[in-house]
Amino acid sequence: MSDPKIEGLELKPGFKGMASDTASDQTMFKGVHWGKAMMWIFLLSDTFVFSCFLIAYMKGRGSTPVEWPNPSEVFALDAFGVPVPLLLIAIMTFVLITSSGTMALAVKYGYEKNRKMCGWLVLATAMGGLTFVGMQAFEWSKLIHEGVRPWENPFGAAQFGSFFFMITGFHGTHVSIGVIFLFIYSYKVFAGHYDTGKRGWFTTMKGDYVEIEILGLYWHFVDLVWVFIFAFFYLW
Amino acid sequence: MSEIEKKDQTSTHKIGIYLWIWGLLFVLSFFSYLVDWYQFQGLLRWSLILIFMFLKAGLIMAFFMHLFWERYALVNVLLWPMTAIACFIVLMVAEFKYTLFTRIFYFFIGG
Amino acid sequence: MSEEYENNKSSYQAQSSETISGDGASSAPDMDYVRPAEIGEQDLYHGHSFITKWIFCQDAKVIGVQYFLTAVFTGIVGLILSWLMRLQLGFPELAGFMTAEHYYQFVTMHGMIMVVYFLTALFLGGFGNYLIPLMVGARDMVFPYVNMISFWMFFIAVAVLMASFFVPGGPTGSGWTLYPPQAILEGTPGSGAGILLMLISLSLFVIGFTMGGLNYLITVLQARTRGMTLMRMPLTVWGIFTATVLAMLAFPALLVSSIMMTLDKVLGTSFFMPTILKAGEVLEYGGGSPILFQHLFWFFGHPEVYIVALPAFGIVSDLISVHSRKNIFGYRMMVWAIVGIGALSFFVWAHHMYVSGMNPWFGFFFATTTLIIAVPTAMKVYNWILTLWRGNIRMNTVMLWCLGFIVTFVNGGITGIFLGNVTVDVPLSDTYFVIAHFHMVMGIAPLMVIMGAVYHWFPLVAGRMLDEKLGKWHFWITFLGAYSIYFPMHYLGFIGVPRRYFEMYDSPYMTSAVGMNEFISLAAFIVGAAQFILIYNIIKTLKVGKPAGKNPWKANSLEWHTSTVPPEHGNFGDRLPVVHRWAYDYSVPGANDDFIPQTTPPSEVINTEVEKT
Repeated sequence: MSDPKIEGLELKPGFKGMASDTASDQTMFKGVHWGKAMMWIFLLSDTFVFSCFLIAYMKGRGSTPVEWPNPSEVFALDAFGVPVPLLLIAIMTFVLITSSGTMALAVKYGYEKNRKMCGWLVLATAMGGLTFVGMQAFEWSKLIHEGVRPWENPFGAAQFGSFFFMITGFHGTHVSIGVIFLFIYSYKVFAGHYDTGKRGWFTTMKGDYVEIEILGLYWHFVDLVWVFIFAFFYLW
Repeated sequence: MSEIEKKDQTSTHKIGIYLWIWGLLFVLSFFSYLVDWYQFQGLLRWSLILIFMFLKAGLIMAFFMHLFWERYALVNVLLWPMTAIACFIVLMVAEFKYTLFTRIFYFFIGG
Repeated sequence: MSEEYENNKSSYQAQSSETISGDGASSAPDMDYVRPAEIGEQDLYHGHSFITKWIFCQDAKVIGVQYFLTAVFTGIVGLILSWLMRLQLGFPELAGFMTAEHYYQFVTMHGMIMVVYFLTALFLGGFGNYLIPLMVGARDMVFPYVNMISFWMFFIAVAVLMASFFVPGGPTGSGWTLYPPQAILEGTPGSGAGILLMLISLSLFVIGFTMGGLNYLITVLQARTRGMTLMRMPLTVWGIFTATVLAMLAFPALLVSSIMMTLDKVLGTSFFMPTILKAGEVLEYGGGSPILFQHLFWFFGHPEVYIVALPAFGIVSDLISVHSRKNIFGYRMMVWAIVGIGALSFFVWAHHMYVSGMNPWFGFFFATTTLIIAVPTAMKVYNWILTLWRGNIRMNTVMLWCLGFIVTFVNGGITGIFLGNVTVDVPLSDTYFVIAHFHMVMGIAPLMVIMGAVYHWFPLVAGRMLDEKLGKWHFWITFLGAYSIYFPMHYLGFIGVPRRYFEMYDSPYMTSAVGMNEFISLAAFIVGAAQFILIYNIIKTLKVGKPAGKNPWKANSLEWHTSTVPPEHGNFGDRLPVVHRWAYDYSVPGANDDFIPQTTPPSEVINTEVEKT
């Protein structure tokens, strides 16, 4: 983040800075931890995965002459006897954004070396993620109960179910992996691994609060993908 | 470099900025929900959906993922490859329209 | 990161002040200044037992060799499959044991093995792992543990792929492009377990490759040694680096299409499956889009061509420069050409689909972008030739392979211009002309570079020189043989012989192809057998080869200036090298030797006309 001091090199902002960073020796991303750079590049690659899924969905939905089910009716939920469109989805969005906010704060407190606060916020994020996965399981079981299958559904084009289960399933897998890591990292924060610089299980690198930021990047990415899924799958 | 000085440079921003972004994300999500609630249709619906989506995505990337504070070298490396995706999207829009045309033409009109 | 940097800063300052003051008397201090280190010393995990040293090893060099051997093993399987195919095409009476199904399966497996599991793994996994840390002056890859997992994922992917030979129904026979709907419908050989194992294997390969690719990228971007700017890196690193970027962005499309096709096969979804009539009955599938698979596949598939080609471009540039004792002509142009080709390769994919029934307007767009990509490619060819021009060329085996590459690549590239144009492609597509084109341009040409690279870097890996005499035999048989195979195929394509056909039947023009097919098959047997000369050469050299000593080719780049030959774990002994120049200062006017290693400080070569880099 921001401009670190690198010895023997004047760090300039903007495109001039980009040119001089790129032209310099040793590192291109000045002051960026190896793990953080790796996570960014991985997320770039993962963006291409989700983009391909969504492009395939667009092509599939756009070219089918059969009528596409109306998501606002399919995903409606009865609240006090009145069907409210997209109620569950709205709550899921709310939960995921909340967990994204707690994660952002956890990163902030991590850099301030506030062990307790950081740990609790990571744990809160994990709980948020768990809630999201739970609600997704509920949504899936409700749709399956209504007869939606990957290969057919009672509302219209068969591809609706296929794309729904595949894309939300892939996103849900990402969330679940994130939740597992959030729990592990909250343990590591509370145990003080990042204050003492304890080395991780698989790496010879010393523990550092930057790992919380790396995990945070992943978690915000999961939220980011949900923004696109929400717009393209539920609102289109 | 002392510990305090380093903190100022690299890591933390005031908590206010995170709370602001957080609040904005809720508001924008609420707005995009309202798009469905009021059942806007056609071009209006599409433009509203896309505007809210890109605003939300932009806020998350810029502030939660700290891209706003990162050096341009990293930002540009991350954003330029998206042109390939943009090209893919544009061409696939043309492609699905053509596929739909051939299907309607051969199955329903010509068939 | 910053913490670590803080902790270690004092020691780096000590190091840099030492450099600044130099060894006092003779040097001009300002001239040799290199910025102090930004990154801390990397902690390495040194294996102690046999298992951690040679099997689950975290040393990038050992991982590179593991990748190399595994890829060569699959390559030999692919070679045997091509022999069987040629036996059927040239001498069907001798191939009575082969049915049409076998033939389709061999075609498919040969293609997939050679493109993905052989060439990609060999260039990026093999050469990438071995050379990147050495050439940029790093102790190891940045994440050695992830790197080790990457190899074992690749190994499992290969095992799954090989397992498909032994399942009921055999491996898939749908052609290496795996087009649906036929790839997963009954009637195509291997439409049961075969195609499933193929898709799983590809997914595993992508996951494993992503782990390795992250390592290569971050090592190049964030772990170079002091003084090593991006524009001082050898072109080998540039080629592998750019190819890895392409792979990181293109393999997602392959992963997505594999997942979707797996779901079509297992769950009966219809992503790619249209309504199908089979023997008068409508199948359960319906409403999907086969052309979507083609777009996804080629969005991966075209960058994949450059994933194979770019490392070859990079490596051959270095080999030509070293063995003609001359700097590479237009280094910056070469770098930008590599980057430009890489960027453009994402905008040309549908030129593989001119006859697929896509939107007809696409032909215009993709023909244009395809022809634009010829510009940077041609620039590279000119630069290779201008590097050779008036060089002090050493006609050793390595140089022969490089020259062979240039000729073959120009040949294959020109037929690519034919096929990039829609009107020329339509009559030629699915004929032997296409086979000849892509085997020349992305089969034989990169293979020539691999061979050259093996002869060039074997002394570094094993510390012994490969036998030159056997090497020259190997080259001439392969070179002349490869032309005997693929040159006639252009003609076969022009007279309209279709690819992937099991036999040529009795139509009059097909009978005129019979003699040529026999000739091609004979050449193929000989060329295939000639590759075993290399294996014999390697085994012989390991036993009785001439010791190479340090830097036998008198090269500049860092991999030849390690503390020991072959380099040990950690590569550079106590101190990482400091780089003062690019890797191409050969035959510099005024210098004592005809090469100036990258580590030589400017004050030592003060009266020479070195390039400013």
